[in-house]
Amino acid sequence: MSSLEVKDLHVTINGSHILQGVNFFVPENKVTALLGRNGVGKSTTLKAIMGLNPGTGTIKFGGTEIVAMPTHKIVQMGLGYVPEDREIFASLTVKENLALAERDEKPNYELVYSLFPELLTRTGQRAGTLSGGQQQMVAIARALLNKNKILLIDEPTKGLAPKLVTEVANALAHVADHSTMLIVEQNLALVKAIAQNIIVMDQGKVVFEGGPENLQDDSFVKSMLGVSGGHK
Amino acid sequence: MLRWKYSRPLLIAITVIFAILPFAGDNPLSKAGLQQTMAVAFLFGALALTYDLLFGFTGLLSFGHALYFASGIYVTAILINDFNWHFLLAILGAVIFTAFLAVLTGSAALRTTGITFAMVTLAFGQAGHVVIARDFGDFTNGDDGLPVNADRLPDFFIGVVNTKYLYLLALGILVFIYFAAWWITESSAGRVFAALRDNEQRVSVLGLNPNRFKLLSFVLSAAMAALIGAAMLIVSGSASPRYASADITIALLLMVILGGPVTRWGAVLGGIVYSVLSTRLNVLSEGSAFDSLPSFIGGPLSEPAFTLGLIFILIVMFAPGGISGAYYRARFKYLNKGK
Amino acid sequence: MSTFLLILITGLGLGALYFLVASGLSLIYGLMGVLNFAHGAFLTIGAFTGLWVSTKVFPNPTTWTFIAAMIAGGITAGLFALLMEQLVINRLYNRHIDQALVTVGVSLVATALLGGWFGFDARFLPTPLWFMKAVTIGDAIIPIDRFIYIGVSAILLIAMLSILKFTRIGLIIRAGVENRSMVTALGINVRMAFSTVFFIGGFAAGVGGVLISVFSYGVSPLMGGSWLIYGFIVVVVGGMGSVAGSAIAAMLIGVTNQFANYYVPGLGDFVVVIILAAVLLTKPSGLLGKVSH
Repeated sequence: MSSLEVKDLHVTINGSHILQGVNFFVPENKVTALLGRNGVGKSTTLKAIMGLNPGTGTIKFGGTEIVAMPTHKIVQMGLGYVPEDREIFASLTVKENLALAERDEKPNYELVYSLFPELLTRTGQRAGTLSGGQQQMVAIARALLNKNKILLIDEPTKGLAPKLVTEVANALAHVADHSTMLIVEQNLALVKAIAQNIIVMDQGKVVFEGGPENLQDDSFVKSMLGVSGGHK
Repeated sequence: MLRWKYSRPLLIAITVIFAILPFAGDNPLSKAGLQQTMAVAFLFGALALTYDLLFGFTGLLSFGHALYFASGIYVTAILINDFNWHFLLAILGAVIFTAFLAVLTGSAALRTTGITFAMVTLAFGQAGHVVIARDFGDFTNGDDGLPVNADRLPDFFIGVVNTKYLYLLALGILVFIYFAAWWITESSAGRVFAALRDNEQRVSVLGLNPNRFKLLSFVLSAAMAALIGAAMLIVSGSASPRYASADITIALLLMVILGGPVTRWGAVLGGIVYSVLSTRLNVLSEGSAFDSLPSFIGGPLSEPAFTLGLIFILIVMFAPGGISGAYYRARFKYLNKGK
Repeated sequence: MSTFLLILITGLGLGALYFLVASGLSLIYGLMGVLNFAHGAFLTIGAFTGLWVSTKVFPNPTTWTFIAAMIAGGITAGLFALLMEQLVINRLYNRHIDQALVTVGVSLVATALLGGWFGFDARFLPTPLWFMKAVTIGDAIIPIDRFIYIGVSAILLIAMLSILKFTRIGLIIRAGVENRSMVTALGINVRMAFSTVFFIGGFAAGVGGVLISVFSYGVSPLMGGSWLIYGFIVVVVGGMGSVAGSAIAAMLIGVTNQFANYYVPGLGDFVVVIILAAVLLTKPSGLLGKVSH
């Protein structure tokens, strides 16, 4: 019971109508990628699901309506969230950042440290002094510590050096094997590698839902995402 | 629109009635006591409006507004007493001095925003209070206050029999400030103030310098506060350090919230109601109104701050927008019923 | 030299009192964005409770009864703070300006209530006799009460830092000061943390109220107001949300105040507000500030 259904979701921030009736479905045990140009409302959609932006409409997680629920209750239902720009706690150590995220009786530190062995050597370091890539590892690790039913991940490779993109991508691919995931990502190579579904948004609405094979089609990519293909 | 078409004639009629009453035979307002109370209340109504210009219209939460009010009072008193200026010139001098003071302090404070801005203005306000209360430079006579030299004021402002002229002076100042605030908020600059409150980014996108407009709002409201201060000096007869205290600014905030911000008449009404209530409740408590109550209820009830504070809490929690907000909500309902 | 030492220790004692007021203000603001104008009322309530304990419960003051008075003052003020948070602040969730305004109302009501019950004249809070003594350090004679203020504040500072450092709720508070919405996005209900900072803040202010009654020779409903302003100043100079910052700023301001007053009587308060303006204009987030709401 970990499918996510969004129906007629509207969000207005400071008078701007950012989401104008978003509809989509995230099936169980599959990776769904949420795509679109900058500023079409992808991050806002994730935040609305997490209850961080007040929205109206219907958001059903495993059949339960979560649209007006407080954020911490939504998370406790088993939604893990990796926000855009990481939002790690800069003044806390790596260890404290992870400890704060513990919800399960037995948090899965083995998984986290096997995916990101680098973190193990930096447990006492203040997170604010980590590199961008290491901060992203902390942010992802926070979501992986607990047995979540679904992961919502917002632009995990944004601003990372190519080598780190690979490391983060490998970690995600490893996790993607056995979980439900909704991921916002600009890196089409990564999307093709891990996603079984794609959703494309434009101007506050969903304009396409389908399989990732469409991304092989250059004209589709160009018209939908405004970039010229993933082939280099 | 929510505006009732007769609201302006009504406002004028009320003003005229208030202006005539002290001269119209035997009524409560023909007595010097109530005239004095109302004169002070009118001035606080006007002062609350200048605060609303900052807080409500421009969105600047200042905790130092009392500084400019006190500056108006003290500079007028000092120019009259120590420099023998004509009282009108002294008032003009005080307004100009205060405007300069506001340019200096305002441009420093406006380098910050939000709560930090509130704290910087609090610091300037407290600095002013310290200067006045400790009498640095031997101008202010410290905690004892500074009575204005009555010989230098026109005769019709002196003596209990002439309280009605003080009352008229205060009413006149209120009307003047009301029109000034109306003109400012309806002008193009006023629209920028409102835009600054709602969305500062949008203003800067239009190529306007947000800080310059904020400073304009800050200086205008300070200069008006100084004028009201000068009138307060004449009405109350002396300057006192309590006019410079942070309590005054907090009272102004309460007045604006009580009456409802951004409606102009709300702030004025809030100021008048607050001022009258705190004076009258004091009088009640000195009488025997609460003697029949058990002392653990009667004691607090005889403190105006208790009642005002309670009303204030209830308004913030359950009736945002205060008196004028409640009025507009009711009117909105009424107008929609017709459809 | 002896004068220097006397002024220094007096300044540190004053700073210790400032710290007791400021630490809670700082945590509350840092975590919740609420400028708590009722903090002065917490202080006053603590002082009146201390007075009650020192006169009615234990009429013969000893060291132990004074400690009881401080603890009772702290607990009463802490519970009052908790009550206010639950009944008023919580209902105005995320309406920061309204939350600040409503604390102004609570402060007025609490002050008037105490004034109505007990009058506005200052009442003497009895202390053990040894509080009146002085100690000699070198050739400086220093009244002993200064050391009491410094000692009690140091204990509370260590206690607060330990709670923040070693407990889970402390971890949540530290994280919440930095980024509250992300704390909730980790599945944590921050309400618990809100209640905790209000209780801790109220407790420190209540203990401070009892000590301030000793320092200023009396308990009065109006005592909270003037100390609140200095509390704000310390918080802002030290940085919102930082307990350590509050401690440093409190000492800095206490000592500066006393030295300025020594050279020009009355100048101290003026210098303090000028320090505030200077710090804010050069570093708006304060000395150790992490947040600038």
